[in-house]
Amino acid sequence: MTDIKIHKVHDNATRDEWVLKIAALESLDKAATFLVHFRKQYTTTLRGSFDLELDHNWIEAQIEQKVATLKEREFTNNQDLLHKCATGEPAATAVAAVLAKMAACTDKMDAEKIHINFRIDYKSPIMPTNYFMDTDRILGSKLMELRNIGYYDLSLPELRIKRGVKVIVANEQVH
Amino acid sequence: MAISLATQAATDALALNRAPTSVGAQEVHKWMQDFNWDFKNNRTKYPTKYTMANDTKEQFKLIAKEYARMESVKDERQFGSLQDALTRMNAGNRVAPKWGETMKVVSNFLEVGEYNAIAASAMLWDSASSPEQKNGYLGQVMDEIRHTHQTGYVNYYFSKYFHDPAGHTDARRVRTLGPLWKGMKRVFADGFISGDAVECSINLQLVGEACFTNPLIVAVTEWASANGDEITPTVFLSIETDELRHMANGYQTVVSIANDPAAAKYLNTDLNNAFWTQQKYFTPVLGMLFEYGSKYKVEPWVKTWNRWVYEDWGGIWIGRLGKYGVQSPASLKDAKKDAYWAHHDLFLLAYAVWPTGFFRLALPSKEDADWFEANYPGWYDHYGKIYEEWRARGCEDPSSGFIPLQWFVENNHEIYIDRVSQVPFCPSLTKGASSLRIHEYNGKKHAFSDEWGERMWLSEPERYECQNVFEQYAGRELSEVVEELWGVRSDGVTLIGQPHVTKDGKLWTLDDIKRINCVFKDPLA
Repeated sequence: MTDIKIHKVHDNATRDEWVLKIAALESLDKAATFLVHFRKQYTTTLRGSFDLELDHNWIEAQIEQKVATLKEREFTNNQDLLHKCATGEPAATAVAAVLAKMAACTDKMDAEKIHINFRIDYKSPIMPTNYFMDTDRILGSKLMELRNIGYYDLSLPELRIKRGVKVIVANEQVH
Repeated sequence: MAISLATQAATDALALNRAPTSVGAQEVHKWMQDFNWDFKNNRTKYPTKYTMANDTKEQFKLIAKEYARMESVKDERQFGSLQDALTRMNAGNRVAPKWGETMKVVSNFLEVGEYNAIAASAMLWDSASSPEQKNGYLGQVMDEIRHTHQTGYVNYYFSKYFHDPAGHTDARRVRTLGPLWKGMKRVFADGFISGDAVECSINLQLVGEACFTNPLIVAVTEWASANGDEITPTVFLSIETDELRHMANGYQTVVSIANDPAAAKYLNTDLNNAFWTQQKYFTPVLGMLFEYGSKYKVEPWVKTWNRWVYEDWGGIWIGRLGKYGVQSPASLKDAKKDAYWAHHDLFLLAYAVWPTGFFRLALPSKEDADWFEANYPGWYDHYGKIYEEWRARGCEDPSSGFIPLQWFVENNHEIYIDRVSQVPFCPSLTKGASSLRIHEYNGKKHAFSDEWGERMWLSEPERYECQNVFEQYAGRELSEVVEELWGVRSDGVTLIGQPHVTKDGKLWTLDDIKRINCVFKDPLA
């Protein structure tokens, strides 16, 4: 008789396993690094692995909750809470760097990576929301502008190549 | 008695210049235009490619106090009718059973749309810089709050008076179980509140409200009345009286960006994507709910669609916006093809997975079948024969050990779910315009059912990461999933969803489903 739980939608062994890992995080720097690594590995379309596809959002939220708690404990003044990232980096420096990079960007695929990576590296509670939200707005606006220019210029086969997909079924009407 | 200096000064001033004893609402509105919101750089919290003009007008010019007075009268009429006249007429039990089941879906899903529309119109309030335009959006925020309550109240009312309340009672808990939920979230939630603020306005106001409100909120009242339901028209027509304001808001959104060079670059692309997003779900789902969820028919869905979507909206309404550079969506002609068969395709799949519903479905009766064949020639040869086979195998009877999902497996009819719209489709069985496309990207497979959606995904894949039910439940046995996600009635064993609406028919239980041993499989795995 095993005690392995059925992989239920809301309550399963995968989540339990991560809850234990998260509970072991005791310092802000370790928790912040853990969160960013988790996002890179298991979230976004650029992720390294789809192993946690069903549970990654829930697990990410638990890690964020832990990082936010540790941040509140370790950042003892408002100045730090309002202006410093959980990694210790000044928020203004990080914002200036990513905005400059996006301002210089003219390719929609590159802009997409800049935006996704910004969210991986800095989505709150890593970066204070007073910096994150407005930066995300500016990056998003630029990305949408680039994406919508020449939206129909490429044919679907050309767009598939540009996106880098492997076509398994191109356009099949079976009936 | 001595009075203070201040009171004396006020008394003296009034003696010289009497205060007005009354003031017109329009005068107040004019006066309020002098007020403005002066945020730092007048910037919004939300991303957008567009700049809204500072001097945009708004047609309704209602101040909040007048608005509240008007809406309270409407609420009194509506709730008064429901709680008094309709209750005494036993209106809840005069509804055709099939239609009462349909309203479990319609009202609950619309509640989600109204709830998200609160956020969407508040986002537009934040994005606009003209005081009048903000005032229009503010009115809409209040409308949407009202509508959320109203649609919730329809389910509440039915749960008290309809003969089978299961589903009306706990739709908010169980609605995520089946495949129809995620597509609805795509149009009613993501479409309204994610991405560019102006694109959201186009989704909500220009397409959702100006295009699909007529079929969704007006046509539904005709179908309801025809099926003995006086509750729905009482509420939905009250909702509809507010919708004109929302259509006007959508119009003014376009007017406000008309002189922005960005509009020429982006607007028609955003409109085409918004139209395809909304129609891809509403076209099949509304047609299915009306025609398969009713005993008495009003008119074929394809006719309703052609009149209100194709001619009134695609032609007249969009035509009026032509002077601002707006063109009818390029995808309109493909949507027109879907308006004929797509809802028939969808019902076949919806019925096959009936245990995942929070409503009861019924196979088309002989009368229904004749109506379908008369209005959609060729219906019987393609769909009617399948329903006859399912009925002959006892799909309505719990002792038969047969649910139609098994028939799809036996006949190698694979069911996919379109990644972008989340609408299920069966490429080997569809009579509509769907065609199968499967791509692998970064190690993950995605299925699509049309060219427009595929392009949207190829352009912005991170917007469409929603897992479908086959991915979510892969490897799980059906009765376990139904039980875990609250698909059972208060006895803990009888399913809320049932494959018939017969009052004296046997009801399926978890054990009946378990005996079939139906295990979910992801067709892309």
